[in-house]
Amino acid sequence: MSEPLIRTVHMGKRYALPAGDLQALADVSVAIGEAEFIAIMGPSGSGKSTFMNVLGCLDVPSEGEYFLRGQSVRSMDVDQRAHLRNTLIGFVFQSYNLLPRLSAVENIGLPLVYAGVGVRERDRRSRELLAQVGLDRYAGFLPPQLSGGQQQRVAIARSLVNDATLLLADEPTGNLDSHSSDEILAIFERLNRERRLTIVLVTHEPDVAAHARRLIRFHDGRIVSDTPVDRAATIQRTVVA
Amino acid sequence: MIYSELLRESWRAMRTNRMRTALTMLGMLIGVAAVVAMLAVGNGARASVNAVISSLGSNMLMVISGARTSGGLHVSSGSTPTLHLTDADAIRGLPGVAAVAPSSPQAAQVVYGANNWSTSVLGTSPDYLQIRDWPLARGSNFSPSDMRGAARVAILGQTVAQNLFGGADPVGHTIRIARSPYQVIGLLAAKGQSFGGQDQDDTVLIPITTAQRKLFGAQFGDTVRVIMVQAQGPELLAPVQDEVDALLTQRHHIAAGQDPDFNVRNLTEFANAAASTTRTMSLLLGLIASISLIVGGIGIMNIMLVSVTERTREVGLRMAVGARPADILQQFLMEAVLVSFAGCLAGLLLGIASVLVVNRLFTMHGLVTAGSVLIAVLVSVTVGTFFGFYPARKASRLEPIEALRYQ
Repeated sequence: MSEPLIRTVHMGKRYALPAGDLQALADVSVAIGEAEFIAIMGPSGSGKSTFMNVLGCLDVPSEGEYFLRGQSVRSMDVDQRAHLRNTLIGFVFQSYNLLPRLSAVENIGLPLVYAGVGVRERDRRSRELLAQVGLDRYAGFLPPQLSGGQQQRVAIARSLVNDATLLLADEPTGNLDSHSSDEILAIFERLNRERRLTIVLVTHEPDVAAHARRLIRFHDGRIVSDTPVDRAATIQRTVVA
Repeated sequence: MIYSELLRESWRAMRTNRMRTALTMLGMLIGVAAVVAMLAVGNGARASVNAVISSLGSNMLMVISGARTSGGLHVSSGSTPTLHLTDADAIRGLPGVAAVAPSSPQAAQVVYGANNWSTSVLGTSPDYLQIRDWPLARGSNFSPSDMRGAARVAILGQTVAQNLFGGADPVGHTIRIARSPYQVIGLLAAKGQSFGGQDQDDTVLIPITTAQRKLFGAQFGDTVRVIMVQAQGPELLAPVQDEVDALLTQRHHIAAGQDPDFNVRNLTEFANAAASTTRTMSLLLGLIASISLIVGGIGIMNIMLVSVTERTREVGLRMAVGARPADILQQFLMEAVLVSFAGCLAGLLLGIASVLVVNRLFTMHGLVTAGSVLIAVLVSVTVGTFFGFYPARKASRLEPIEALRYQ
């Protein structure tokens, strides 16, 4: 069997705090393959954000191992992890995190700046992606001039500009109305289907999680369930609730 | 990260906070302007002192008629002539002496046609021009026969020539000094101001013998006020000074323990002391100005720290999309250097402009040299790098997760 995109082995993360250590993650062993679409749920403080940070190489595990494409992230230095984030991983945040003084196109091209891509090529690729998320007419707009849904679409375009294989989305629809939310999720589904992009999505909302095909639940830093999503059942439950 | 990208990013950040950037630059601007102006003042002062020193003549000693006790009263030096032409002749025979010029000044009215001018008439010898390092613009120096025969000949300074003859060539014409006719045989080159701010060109030279016998009258006899002595080299100044002292002590019959009736002064030493004072002064001015540069640097550090804090989320995001710590460091450092460099350029303009204005208003000779511009640029870029480094490093060491979470 070939190595999956992501593999964690008894991975844990402990934070040293003045009030004593905090075990944010404990004994997490999971494998995620290419083109998977995973939703992560759990109460706040359950470790799902820490899990995402570690997957995104923004943080390193303090115990166990994390292999990304077979390479141990724990043994990498700061610059190597920056390189992975730059070339392999795309982030989508709840609060979009666009730089307010850069235009939509320039925001999308930001990762390419650190990949050493020239300004003209950057512009070309950014415009291409902007068109893919349906915002080709907004190229020169600054983020404050765009709606929340539009900003999040720019952020998605940014996460893809380096041909990332792994997209990590932390509550991407948390600040959006249901209509924009549906649009964003539709884009995710399309990217997952057409680009075979691996998507890991943290959410509080069951009907958002229902768009994924696999659901992992966290509690107290541990995985408590890891199941395929039964769309009908999830929707059913939402209706009942 | 490519430098053009860094420049683009920094420029954008500076433009976003125009007011803040301007204020930060202001600190640098004032510092650089101060350094440039202060160095200019110092350079100007040094240049004018140097000019005065070289106008004084080189390797020169001055023997001045000394204080003489007359009836229990000390009379100030030079006021009663105690030196004689024979003293000058004796000094000329000493080893190491290159030239000797006995001289006595006297105020007199000089007249040419309808023009007259009050000036100082200096009786002296042909050596005077060599000692003072003072070339003739036209005509010739006194000849030995002029000296021997106490000829009525004169060499004019530029100011006197200007006032008597306008722009015309005075050589060959006859002027009157104290009602007696003198033939103008030479015109001195322009010399400028002396230490005391006196116009050195406002003078007429005549042979010392003529002055003694025909102009000044009997009260002077064959005395002279001053004997200028030039040594053959700077290393001979001190020995010649001692020899002159010994010779005159013997000639004037000064007993041991008795005050001499003459003074031997080393003017070159005096001039060198003045030059080194000016050097110290310009150094001091430069130092004081540099303090304002450092204050400007601290201003930059302050603003950069604020900027880093304000842009913590941006730093977090940049790291998330692949910026290495070195990229972040370079970005903030570039911003600091760019701000200080821009402030430096503006400061240079202001500094140079103010020097020009001050020169015009106060007839000073402030001098902006390439060296002082280079110093200002180097120092400001160094200050920018030095004071920008701490904030930039702080930014580059942010943890991306915490930076992204920062509100």
